[in-house]
Amino acid sequence: MNKWYKMKHADMQKFVSALTEKWEVWVPYRIDGKWEFGIYDTGRDLDFPESVIHVSLKNLFFPKRRPIATYDENSKWSLKPVEPEGKPRIVIGLHPCDVAGIEYMDKVFLQSEHKDVMYASERKRTVLIGMLCSEMADNCHCTDRGLTPDATRGMDAAFARITDGYLLKGLTDKGKQVLRSEYLKKVDEVPDKKDWPAGRYVIASPEEFMEMYDDKIWHEMSDICLTCGICTYACPTCVCFLVTDENFKGKGERVTVWDSCQLQSYSRMAGGHNTRKTPASRVRNRTLDKFAYSHLRYGQISCTGCGRCVMVCPLKRSFPQLGARLTERIKDKKKGKSKSGARSKEA
Amino acid sequence: MAAIELVPKPVTIKRIIEESRDVKSYVLQMSGSGKMPARPGQFVEVSVQGYGEATFAVTRISKDNQEFNISVKRIGHLTKMLHRAAPGDIIGVRGPYGNSFPVDEWKGKDIVVIGGGIGLAPLRPVIDYVLEHRKDYGKLEIVFGARAPDDILYKEDLRIWEDDKGISLYKTIDVPFEGWSGRVGVVPIVVKDLALKPDGKISIVCGPPIMIKFTAAALRELRWPNDKIFTTLEMKMQCGIGQCGRCNIGEKFICKDGPVFSLDQIPEHAL
Repeated sequence: MNKWYKMKHADMQKFVSALTEKWEVWVPYRIDGKWEFGIYDTGRDLDFPESVIHVSLKNLFFPKRRPIATYDENSKWSLKPVEPEGKPRIVIGLHPCDVAGIEYMDKVFLQSEHKDVMYASERKRTVLIGMLCSEMADNCHCTDRGLTPDATRGMDAAFARITDGYLLKGLTDKGKQVLRSEYLKKVDEVPDKKDWPAGRYVIASPEEFMEMYDDKIWHEMSDICLTCGICTYACPTCVCFLVTDENFKGKGERVTVWDSCQLQSYSRMAGGHNTRKTPASRVRNRTLDKFAYSHLRYGQISCTGCGRCVMVCPLKRSFPQLGARLTERIKDKKKGKSKSGARSKEA
Repeated sequence: MAAIELVPKPVTIKRIIEESRDVKSYVLQMSGSGKMPARPGQFVEVSVQGYGEATFAVTRISKDNQEFNISVKRIGHLTKMLHRAAPGDIIGVRGPYGNSFPVDEWKGKDIVVIGGGIGLAPLRPVIDYVLEHRKDYGKLEIVFGARAPDDILYKEDLRIWEDDKGISLYKTIDVPFEGWSGRVGVVPIVVKDLALKPDGKISIVCGPPIMIKFTAAALRELRWPNDKIFTTLEMKMQCGIGQCGRCNIGEKFICKDGPVFSLDQIPEHAL
């Protein structure tokens, strides 16, 4: 039995506007040519990009700056935890690579001895209505990371754009409930199946990456990287953070803030000892974390193939390209072309 | 809903012990019925409100787990604030975190404790534990090195250990110092001179990175196998629970998979 329903183009705006009565609704907006999620204002124009949204959803579940406790600066001790809160919300228009990013964050924050209850609360209050990609953008390579641009895994409901409207389908109870609307009509249509291209940024296996630890290629790779860290901000699975106190006019907040392994201060300890002082050691740590350590920790590499790191890289080289270059090197090494290089003494 | 694990609980500074020119120890008392059930080798995250948080080894645990000690070397922003604190002040703590020294697996063996400077701090609970369960263990040997006499910590403990006939204590300072008539020489050299044999023994080593590295080399030279040499590692930490990302050696997080490792569990470059 066909589970897809149809909605007319013109009805989408009415449908989403109606949802705002009960929900906080997040949709993609185009700002200066770049797509980013924002809270929907009733009546505003609504459009969805065919493929990856420039800014990832990470901030919705794990905010850039997140107060976890407050205190009165003038007291010696008055630290009070911030209780998780927020009304139910719906995110409309995310893609399979966004789901993969959320699934990875779940592994870090939920499948832990110390579950992050604030993250859990953000997840719990959110219904995910995903959009099937209708094309792969310039830097998309999810097909090289085991994903399919029109897969629906992990979504509560999914929709696809067709010539004269949208096809929608509820996948979970929550999703089906959201789709209960007068604007949806039963149809026989299903979204077109596509053959998706692959091979843009093929990478070696985690085991092969691990064998490259001592290679001199990290020095070559760090020579073409500014270690500015913007790729870690854009990445949907980079969730490293700092815990710090911020004081403002007597009111204090203990916050977690995004941090980046590409910055020199990331591993610097009091007294100045730094286990990853050189750019080479930081580039190596991030590359191996994405393509090997993550696999050893969680059974899944932490690159979703969204290509955002390439989009934001000031040198347009970024990660997948570095990974691909490393993969070439691994191949060369196997053929016996390259000599092993000097080892960096850092972790 | 429960608060996020990252929010600390208040503890009272019960007593402050001036250990050396830049190290103070703090006896901390849990609030109410709170407990700190730390096993030897575990660590805590300590907060000074308004100044943040840092990682400290638990250096002594009371039997009822209501009190525990940390030792703090004044070296950065937070440790400076801790050094300004007074008895009765309230600071924050969360933990205990990390794995611990597998003291129960070591029963029947001789224990060799090798500490350099503040590196003795995370090892002291092992000494306490062995002394508490004396019959379960063989000989206890302690090698402790400091840069200078002024840097020697735990002077009261050292006196007790020195008088204990069941303990062989080797105290050393790095370079000769006026008025010091004891042993002189860095820890790795002392270990070599003592020709400590590995048979039926476990060694635990902690100190500055360079001391750990050369002490490990000295022990290997004396034919100690890697799985009989234990260390506790330190790296920049923020969360202590394997989420903030930074304290990794390869795929392992020091805070979660460590801080205690035997040398066969970590790559050579980690030392």
